[in-house]
Amino acid sequence: MALNSGGGIQGTQVPSGLSRLYSRYATECGLLIAIFAVVVIAILIDPTNAYLAKPWYNATEILRHASILGIFAMGAGIVIISGGIDLSSGSVIAFSGVICCSIILGLCQAAGLVDDTGNPVPANLPGWILVVAISGTLGVAFIVGSFHAWLITVVRLPPFIATLASLVGLRSLGRVLIQDVNRVFTSNANTQIYIRDATYKSLGNEWYIPVIICAVVALVLFTLMRSTVTGRHLYAIGGNEDAARLSGISIEKKKWLAYCIGTMTAALAGILYSSYVGGAMPDRDGLGYELNAIAAAVVGGCSLAGGLGTISGIVLGAIFLRVVIDAVAKTVKDNPDEFQGMIVGLLVVLAVTFNELRSQKGDRKKFFSGALGVVNIVSLTVLMGLVAMLVTSDGDSSTDDSRDKLFAGCLVAVITFAVLVARKIFESRPAVEKSPVPISAAANAQDVSSGEDPFVDPGKQEIEGDAPEGGDADEGRDS
Amino acid sequence: MSAPALISIREVTKRYPGVVALDSVELDILDGECHSIVGENGAGKSTLMKILSGVITDYEGDLELRGERIRFSGTRAAEAAGISIIHQELNLVEELSAAANIFLGREKVRGLGLLDDASMERAAGELLKSLECDVDPRERAGALRVGDQQLIEIAKALSLKTEILIMDEPTSALTESEVARLYRVIERLREQNVTILYISHKMDEIFRLSDRITVLRDGQLVETLDREATDPRQVTHLMVGREIEATSFDEPRKPDGEILRVEKLSLPWPGHAKEWRLRDISFSLQSGEILGIAGLMGAGRTELMECLFGASEIPYRGEVVLDGESVCFRHPAEAKSAGVALVTEDRKRLGLFSQMSVGNNITMCTLDELVSMPLRQIDRRKETAAAEESISQLAIKTAGPEAQVTSLSGGNQQKTIIARWLRTKPKVLLLDDPTRGVDVGAKAELYRLMDSLCRDGLGILLTSSELPELLTVCDRIIVFCEGRLTGEFTREEATEEKLMEAATQLE
Repeated sequence: MALNSGGGIQGTQVPSGLSRLYSRYATECGLLIAIFAVVVIAILIDPTNAYLAKPWYNATEILRHASILGIFAMGAGIVIISGGIDLSSGSVIAFSGVICCSIILGLCQAAGLVDDTGNPVPANLPGWILVVAISGTLGVAFIVGSFHAWLITVVRLPPFIATLASLVGLRSLGRVLIQDVNRVFTSNANTQIYIRDATYKSLGNEWYIPVIICAVVALVLFTLMRSTVTGRHLYAIGGNEDAARLSGISIEKKKWLAYCIGTMTAALAGILYSSYVGGAMPDRDGLGYELNAIAAAVVGGCSLAGGLGTISGIVLGAIFLRVVIDAVAKTVKDNPDEFQGMIVGLLVVLAVTFNELRSQKGDRKKFFSGALGVVNIVSLTVLMGLVAMLVTSDGDSSTDDSRDKLFAGCLVAVITFAVLVARKIFESRPAVEKSPVPISAAANAQDVSSGEDPFVDPGKQEIEGDAPEGGDADEGRDS
Repeated sequence: MSAPALISIREVTKRYPGVVALDSVELDILDGECHSIVGENGAGKSTLMKILSGVITDYEGDLELRGERIRFSGTRAAEAAGISIIHQELNLVEELSAAANIFLGREKVRGLGLLDDASMERAAGELLKSLECDVDPRERAGALRVGDQQLIEIAKALSLKTEILIMDEPTSALTESEVARLYRVIERLREQNVTILYISHKMDEIFRLSDRITVLRDGQLVETLDREATDPRQVTHLMVGREIEATSFDEPRKPDGEILRVEKLSLPWPGHAKEWRLRDISFSLQSGEILGIAGLMGAGRTELMECLFGASEIPYRGEVVLDGESVCFRHPAEAKSAGVALVTEDRKRLGLFSQMSVGNNITMCTLDELVSMPLRQIDRRKETAAAEESISQLAIKTAGPEAQVTSLSGGNQQKTIIARWLRTKPKVLLLDDPTRGVDVGAKAELYRLMDSLCRDGLGILLTSSELPELLTVCDRIIVFCEGRLTGEFTREEATEEKLMEAATQLE
């Protein structure tokens, strides 16, 4: 797409259809390939053959989880595209579970679905109760989203603070509320509500229902973001809010919409999640999910600076995250939750680093100069060794097992260290000069690190490197 | 003045992409003098001072301090050598106390690495007292008045044992009494044999303070004069005296009825020493006319445009009449639908959507016309057609509507934004310094574009930091000085000297 400045003849430099398609959907293509690669690798190295033994079950499980994540990741992604951040989704999931179950319980009572002691029995519910409960929950989510938008556009809180308040506040509110609801409608003050109704439970337990809902939401939001004026304006606000305001775009209304999409998709996911687990447990439901949603959006190509990202990328990002979590769980241990945080953290760093490098041509960049670089060579070495140790498969005899683990850990640590030190030597060498291979890598590395001034940190160098541009802007302001 | 040169600037050149900000400047600063550097906007004053103070480190040429060649690696190195700068935009950490700001980066510590606040506050208090500044050193810097904040910066410079103090337009935000106090402080500094480099474009200050005056123009040193041997008229003349590019428009334009009238417009400036950002501005604009607004930095040109476009945060007072109707826009959207368009001053920050394509940038304000039923989705074919129409109408050089807007040159980016606003079919086009950062060829093209738009019946209000530009394209020129209208000239009457006199006029 680059244009040489003198190019006056129109059309000659427009890329052909296919490459244009690729350049527009580069993130999506990369994610598709990555998803495919992860699945193939997982099948190849899976020691228990779990994927091949039950392919259908595994595929539907991955899709179910990816869909629920995808639904609220799209909401979080739209907020990010519009230049904000929504930290509340995990708590909105928990809170909407409470609201949905409370409404069901209350309506059971009202409709006379009670047992001998007068406690409501949420089983064999009439359809209208479910419809009212779900719409009521979405309505509450709309109110929460509007509250966020008000805090951000009118009170002018930073989005991070406004939604952080919901992150901590809403879960707590749900936990208090659920006890009162139980006290009013039943004879005890439980901290949970269980819904036994088959229809309600099927929402999250039939694998295709979340998938269909996710597909419908994705279609609607894809159209919104890609083909409507509102969507274009959301991209504009995220890209350059001042310019958007000066182009006559009503920023308040658009942000209102974005934050409502954020909370309402989270509420939708919350209903599905509550149906999946068969009730509401606000102390545990959706704990930490807001970060998974943000991670899926970022892996899917959204920039936290705003203005970039697509719905298709976010959905693929959610699928990718889930596939990796599942693959690690299958090949290593059978409890995916323990590994989830580690994987999400790693993938986010890798995906964003990859994007950064792609945009700044980073092979000449110095990653390990100065004291900060040395410390991080050590920390990466330890981290990689530790991870290798932990993921080494459990063997049969416990003594062999721990020896294997230690061995794998040390091996990976040594390899990592060697690679990073080699990179550091490569970096500290002038680009043109081709000097002979060092005799001792470690000794050389020490030389290099002691030779450099450890207090010249890379950040400072960067700032100085930027001076011409900054100076230009200053000069402009002066004039 | 036979004192030895303290600093010698030898053949210093600074290039930015497309612009030469300083062109082999040669200058000697003598020990103990007060040397004023004057010049128009963009003449290179600030660039030169940034090089001297180590803010800019990559330049061609040499600096000599007391005969020794030096090259600063940063502001710290310059401060260590005894050169400090007081920037026009003050550099204080507002949340820290006055004392903490004075000792920022060189904090006094006791044993265990703990801050020695008491001794810093004592030292800061003494420094401030010596500068006639009776603020509590423990006061938060952000809570102080601008004049006091400036003295904190001067105190900081003094605590660094500064021998050369650079002041970049220090009086631009001060009240009269604060200015008088600053003069006294400068006198005191000179008694302590501090060499002062004073940047300003206010003639009375320059002639009151300086021993010698150096005039810069377009990055070149024009002349260095002794104060006794010159007068304000000569300096003004030297500041502007360049040849005007010959872009003439043969046929005179025919203004055709009043389209915009501004009556007694005032814009308050809350919390500032000068209460008004704009005061009692009245003028009228005809359709088919280009009205120029001249003025120096901070004169209120941009603020006026924001008022007219409904983009000002603070409501203005006074009346604006657009096409016979009294209007008061509260949001740019209202101005847009009423037929006012603003092409903003800072293209990158306030105009471009740099993540989007050329086409999306062009259609941003008129998407509502490009939707099709039933979902009101954007019709891609209509959008592309509209963008292509604008591209060919304004001769924007691009590979097509799909190209990234950042791949365009500055002039073509500017045309893209003008195209965006022309699609709204405005009656009044506000152009805020549209040729900034645009090369000479593209400037001429933009002038021709303005001319042809004007002949199509548009009323154009144009600001520019370059006087020759205004003299070339405008039918009439009004001049602002510190928020007041200080002159109005027809194209025939106007000369750069007259405009500059009106723009530097003080009451």
